[in-house]
Amino acid sequence: MNNMLSQGAMHLDAFDIAIAALLVLVAGVVSLVLKLGLERRLLLASIRTVVQLFLIGYVLRYVFRFENLPLVLAVVTLMVLAAARASVRRSSRKYSGVYFNSFIILVLSGMLTSYSVTGVIIGVDPWYKTQYMIPLLGMILGNSLTGISLTLDYLLESLSERRNEVETELAMGATKWEAARAPLADAVRRGMIPVINSMMVVGIVSLPGMMTGQILQGADPVQAVRYQIVVMFMIAAATSGGCMGIALLTYKKLFNARHQLDYRLIEKR
Amino acid sequence: MSEHDALLLELKNISVAVEDKTLFSGLDLDLRSGEIIAVCAPSGYGKTSLLRAIAGLSDFASGEVLLRGKTPFETGWPCYRRRVVLLDQKPVLFDMSVRENLSRVFNYKSASNAFDESRAIELLYRLGMNEDVLDKNARSLSVGEQQRVCLVRALIIDPQVLLMDEPSSALDEKSESKLEELIRFEASSRKLAALVVTHKSTQAERFADKKLNLETLNLSPCASDCVCPDGRTQ
Repeated sequence: MNNMLSQGAMHLDAFDIAIAALLVLVAGVVSLVLKLGLERRLLLASIRTVVQLFLIGYVLRYVFRFENLPLVLAVVTLMVLAAARASVRRSSRKYSGVYFNSFIILVLSGMLTSYSVTGVIIGVDPWYKTQYMIPLLGMILGNSLTGISLTLDYLLESLSERRNEVETELAMGATKWEAARAPLADAVRRGMIPVINSMMVVGIVSLPGMMTGQILQGADPVQAVRYQIVVMFMIAAATSGGCMGIALLTYKKLFNARHQLDYRLIEKR
Repeated sequence: MSEHDALLLELKNISVAVEDKTLFSGLDLDLRSGEIIAVCAPSGYGKTSLLRAIAGLSDFASGEVLLRGKTPFETGWPCYRRRVVLLDQKPVLFDMSVRENLSRVFNYKSASNAFDESRAIELLYRLGMNEDVLDKNARSLSVGEQQRVCLVRALIIDPQVLLMDEPSSALDEKSESKLEELIRFEASSRKLAALVVTHKSTQAERFADKKLNLETLNLSPCASDCVCPDGRTQ
């Protein structure tokens, strides 16, 4: 591969991607030989990876040509809607209005965090410059939706399965907040596990994709590390905001003014 | 208990429904301090639902409940529940020591008194247990022991009204008798009032002043020939 650009970045063509696909092909052949039954799913996942990423690549190339706020907003709205849907669908229980709650939380935590990074830390002008805004928001949403779905799943399961504990606390004179605090805290902690874990091992066990990409493009590793630290903090802030936000909105929905847990609002899928 | 004792709890024109099915309606009931009323009816007539609704854990279909002339809304729901405590049939204790389970309920904002361990020990003794149990994990106890610890937890709050749902369902005869003695003692010494759901007609006879038949909404004094409507005797 002799396609090193003068700036140090690597240009990849279809042939390079085909070589990478060979590695997956090897895994598929091994699965076939050992009768693991993985080959069909591996093939489907590989095809989806190629199609989905090329699709978003071409969309981004088109969007990047115009620094147009309405266009950015339209793309951002679509991304947040898809993230809200995915975050709720991964939970085994739901309640009426949960999609809206997830959407609102993702809009607030996603936009606030990405604005802090593009508008304040990096100082991009305009702050919604698509080249920065869209990839950063993508990372934020990807992590936040995982946190939200874990929080939601654990909280709804906890309030259903341990309803008698919550009601015992209420019956002994606890306020709804006092009775809900333990399940809420447990659920937020559960939602934050992936982000906390990745922050704990970053640089030791794993090198994050964004940092690796910058280094491969010839960036100074220390500069790439600075970017990565900002990104990790941004993801941690957005995910904790998402987890706490969905937990609080769920609490507000399921506990009423009479300090009752309205467990009948929780539906099992 | 006498007619001169203060009126504590008033139930006015109460209807209870479960999933849109009305279980009973038009219930009026006065509970005075120191009074014990047994609530009897066959299964499915809404005994547990009535207690849950009085405790404010669910809503009445219609009607209202007053504690010393005030609605729970006026009293504040947590403060109301501190005075009208529900003791569930199934004991619910947290995965911690008995002492922590007992003191936990004094961490709430609505708690006006502090945890009095000597009072808890006295109550445990009266129920046939001793203070060694305080250091044990509550979930390692037998169901009968857990039921008694739950009763102690309810009593150390010092409520005005105790709502008891089958309080001795997991107790042997001796423990049941100690429980009844304790409730009677609390009623006479501390003017505790109690509504007790029981299937056991003999239990209603032994320690209730009156019996409410939910099937007919008839309130009658307990007499020796009193039989609960489901016909069960112990």
